[in-house]
Amino acid sequence: MKNKYSFIALIIFLFVGPFLFPNATITEMLIFGIVAISTNIMLGYTGMLSFGQALFFGTSAYISGLMLLGGFPLFLAIPIATLGSFVISLFIGYFCVKREGLYFICLTFAFNQMFYFIAYVWTEVTGGEDGLVGVERPAYIDTQLTFYIFTAVMFLFAVIALYKIVTSPLGLIFKLIRENASRAEAIGYNVRFYKLISFSIASTFTGLAGSLYVLIHSMVPIDQIHWLKSGDIIFMTLFGGVGSFLGPLIGVVGYIWLSDTFSIIWARWPLIMGVIFAIVVLYFRGGVSELLENLFKKYKSISRKTEHEQDIKNTKLN
Amino acid sequence: MTFLIISQILNGLGLGMLYALVGVGLTLILGVLNIPNFAHGVLYALGAYLAFTIANVTGSFYFAMFLSPLLVVLVGFILESQGVRRLYHAHHDYQLLFLFACALIIQEIIIIIWGPIGFSLLAPPSLSGAVDLGFLIYPKYRLVLICFAFFMIVCLYLFLTKTNLGAILRAGIENRDMVKVLGINVNVVFLYTFGLGAYLAGLAGALSAPIMGLTPSMGLDILPICFVVVVVAGLGSIPGAIIAGILIGLSQGAATIWFPEATNVVIYVMMGLTIIFRPQGLFGVR
Amino acid sequence: MNKSFFSSMKLKITGIVFGTLFSISSSISLSDTVNILGLFPFSGPYADSGKLTDQGARIALEEVNYTINGKKIKYVTRDSETKAGPAARRAQEAIDTEGVKFIIGPWSSGVALAVTEVAKKNKVMYYFSGGTEDISGKKCHKYAFMWAANAWTAMDADLKIFKKANPNAKKIYLFVVDYAFGWTLQKYVESLAPKYGLEVVGVDRHPLGHREYSTFITKAMSKNPDAVYMINFGLDAISAVRQLNNFGFTPKKPVIMSWSSGFEELIQLDPAARENLIVGSNYYYTIDNPENKKFVEAYKKKFKGVPPGYAGAAGYGLMKMTLLGMQKSGSTEPQKVITALEEHKGKNFVGDFEIRGRNHQTVRPFFVLQTKKKNEMKNQYDMAEVVDVSSTEQPKNINMCKDIGSF
Repeated sequence: MKNKYSFIALIIFLFVGPFLFPNATITEMLIFGIVAISTNIMLGYTGMLSFGQALFFGTSAYISGLMLLGGFPLFLAIPIATLGSFVISLFIGYFCVKREGLYFICLTFAFNQMFYFIAYVWTEVTGGEDGLVGVERPAYIDTQLTFYIFTAVMFLFAVIALYKIVTSPLGLIFKLIRENASRAEAIGYNVRFYKLISFSIASTFTGLAGSLYVLIHSMVPIDQIHWLKSGDIIFMTLFGGVGSFLGPLIGVVGYIWLSDTFSIIWARWPLIMGVIFAIVVLYFRGGVSELLENLFKKYKSISRKTEHEQDIKNTKLN
Repeated sequence: MTFLIISQILNGLGLGMLYALVGVGLTLILGVLNIPNFAHGVLYALGAYLAFTIANVTGSFYFAMFLSPLLVVLVGFILESQGVRRLYHAHHDYQLLFLFACALIIQEIIIIIWGPIGFSLLAPPSLSGAVDLGFLIYPKYRLVLICFAFFMIVCLYLFLTKTNLGAILRAGIENRDMVKVLGINVNVVFLYTFGLGAYLAGLAGALSAPIMGLTPSMGLDILPICFVVVVVAGLGSIPGAIIAGILIGLSQGAATIWFPEATNVVIYVMMGLTIIFRPQGLFGVR
Repeated sequence: MNKSFFSSMKLKITGIVFGTLFSISSSISLSDTVNILGLFPFSGPYADSGKLTDQGARIALEEVNYTINGKKIKYVTRDSETKAGPAARRAQEAIDTEGVKFIIGPWSSGVALAVTEVAKKNKVMYYFSGGTEDISGKKCHKYAFMWAANAWTAMDADLKIFKKANPNAKKIYLFVVDYAFGWTLQKYVESLAPKYGLEVVGVDRHPLGHREYSTFITKAMSKNPDAVYMINFGLDAISAVRQLNNFGFTPKKPVIMSWSSGFEELIQLDPAARENLIVGSNYYYTIDNPENKKFVEAYKKKFKGVPPGYAGAAGYGLMKMTLLGMQKSGSTEPQKVITALEEHKGKNFVGDFEIRGRNHQTVRPFFVLQTKKKNEMKNQYDMAEVVDVSSTEQPKNINMCKDIGSF
């Protein structure tokens, strides 16, 4: 039942969102919402930290942008770009999942840089430093409103698909790997294979988001494939909290809103963001979603189920 | 052509020595503490900025080179004892988030203190200008840099292989639990390791300042290179990091002769080849 | 084990309440004001220029007391981070929530090309300072203007004045930053050099953000050129100059910084390292006319005696141009302002200028400076003198803006 309510709440958010935030901002929030929620499949559910998600976001944005520039229709560009990031994620994942922990972080980070420089040098295709410009939105989603509706529908589609994955047996295997990889191996699961699947799912949906991103400002800026973007993706996800399915979405909304707001107030706003991140890590490791949850619990201690989840989270963190 | 190649080898060596210094620092922190130190680049930047200010205030370049890395160690100690220490049991994601947050904070503090515009730090008159080696003219400071960095690397190597603390550090990379079992205070070991890593980053930053100048973003520029050094070397291998650093510097030098546009790409090509043909890194065991 | 979609629905509502609180801060614009956006890099790799540009723009606004045609001017700023993505998002956000009708902004071709698309789509006017020639070239459109001199004009001026100062020079060696704008400048230099009796004896392209030039320098020195001609900017150029000096190339032979911000770049170099540089720039604070003197005085007052560099001047110039269009048209509607500016001839703090209607290029002087030796400097900011200016317009047939389109 609860899931149903949350789903309704999410729908309400999609309707209310455009009144809370400027249109371009809320659209971008939804797109990065897909990124963060899917990254959480890998980060929160499977316990793998990839520092190279911008690679898939950017590559897919380039593919979709190039196809649109080449005159292909949108309903072809988006699936092919998504498929493209799926294939690349299998290739890169194959090398990366062999390693664990820090080495996995280093590898994904380094792959990200490699793709960044490919995009940077390959000017004839990607536009290099200038970015890929002049991508036109199809007429039927050209207004801000129709484009928002389009993005919201894609967002819902992605969220439902990801939710199905999380609640399927596959999702349970991911959690098992996170909790105890050697046990999973002992039971007979091929841990590397499932890690690769998890990596691919996250990367494919990140790619889907990338293929939508190109439509917002009719271009692919080169910074969307830079490793700093990968950092942003991780921070948004962690900021929201990896403990719940929709937590990362709050992270995205908070992160984009805070960075836009602080950047108006003080030119040295990254300092404030740094302080907030540090505080989150040291004191509110569950992210904003857990913070809100705790605040809520203080006022009305009714939720019994969350305690159980709390336990799961604590075992993960300790 | 010969003199071109020789000068490129010298250039590559100079650059490679700097990479080796920061790379070894990162390897130590990664290996012993098992945390992704995303604040490593900003410690490098801090080393350069502190050296700049000390050199301007005291008028002594050498004193600046001596003191600034030590001040960076102090910052490293603060980072370790106030933040990182509480995160050893947390997942890498939180460690990364925290260290990156520290990097943001320190970088912005650099901008607040020193301003967003870059500076030059001049080498002292005794080290500036060029020397005629007979077959080519080469800046004095760079030659000194190569020799000094080499000397530091030898010192570091002796420290790690000939002293007790060095042995503990190496043991920590091999097997952290073993160190605990032996009854050694792990907290102190971790603190010193982080300090040593910070020292090397700060030193490299200070040494690079007369060549590359100072900018607030210099830390972000060097960070990916540090990680590539670690990947090519193999996680936790100190000799590996030294050799990988120098190799990367040399290959960048070589690239400028034949494909000048690709001087940045060559780093990642090397890394890609390593991943494909020797996934554990050149000297990696794990 | 079953994760709930969200731990509870009420939590979601809390989230929405939170969101509402967030959005209260975004203000709603009033229709009797003119809203102008300054989109500058306050953070990121060009963080230094944001504040300076902003101050320059504010000086122009203070001159008119923040009113134009009887309307209040509401001036807002956003951080571009020198990243095209956030810059475009914030530009769009400012248009949507602040009702911005005019955008001024400098730096980075990537950011400019993103923002120019936003301007076109939203029908707001965009005055850009410099860093790509596409704004008045390949990507020109009715809503975008270019303030800096055309790249061709600049290269022509550099070569012409360099040759005049060094009549015996024959061979030049090029350092070129490896991206579109660098290539454009290289193309112009290679086509113009023979006209001034100069031969390009070698070209090296280096990546953007390169800090290590020793390899290029040794290569260049082996060709024994009379000068190194640099087509790179900011820190790249500064690092290269510093290292050319380390290698003993300067001050024996000159180095040309062909497209420099002038003041900001020179101040980062030690006087010894900046001897014998020939610097092409869109602005230098010693430009001798009353309007510039007035601006420099106002600027110095704000910055404890530090004179303006290119960033400050760009902010001032961009805002002046925007205000000029409003004054001339008597309107604050972008389309009327744009029409008023087209083919306008005038004089301002950089000298005589014209705005071409066919490509929206501001045809204006480009300044070539010669740096001073340490013992010639009267104070720490007295780094160079303007040797000459040139405003030769780019020939129409090589301009990439073939059709500027309509509103």
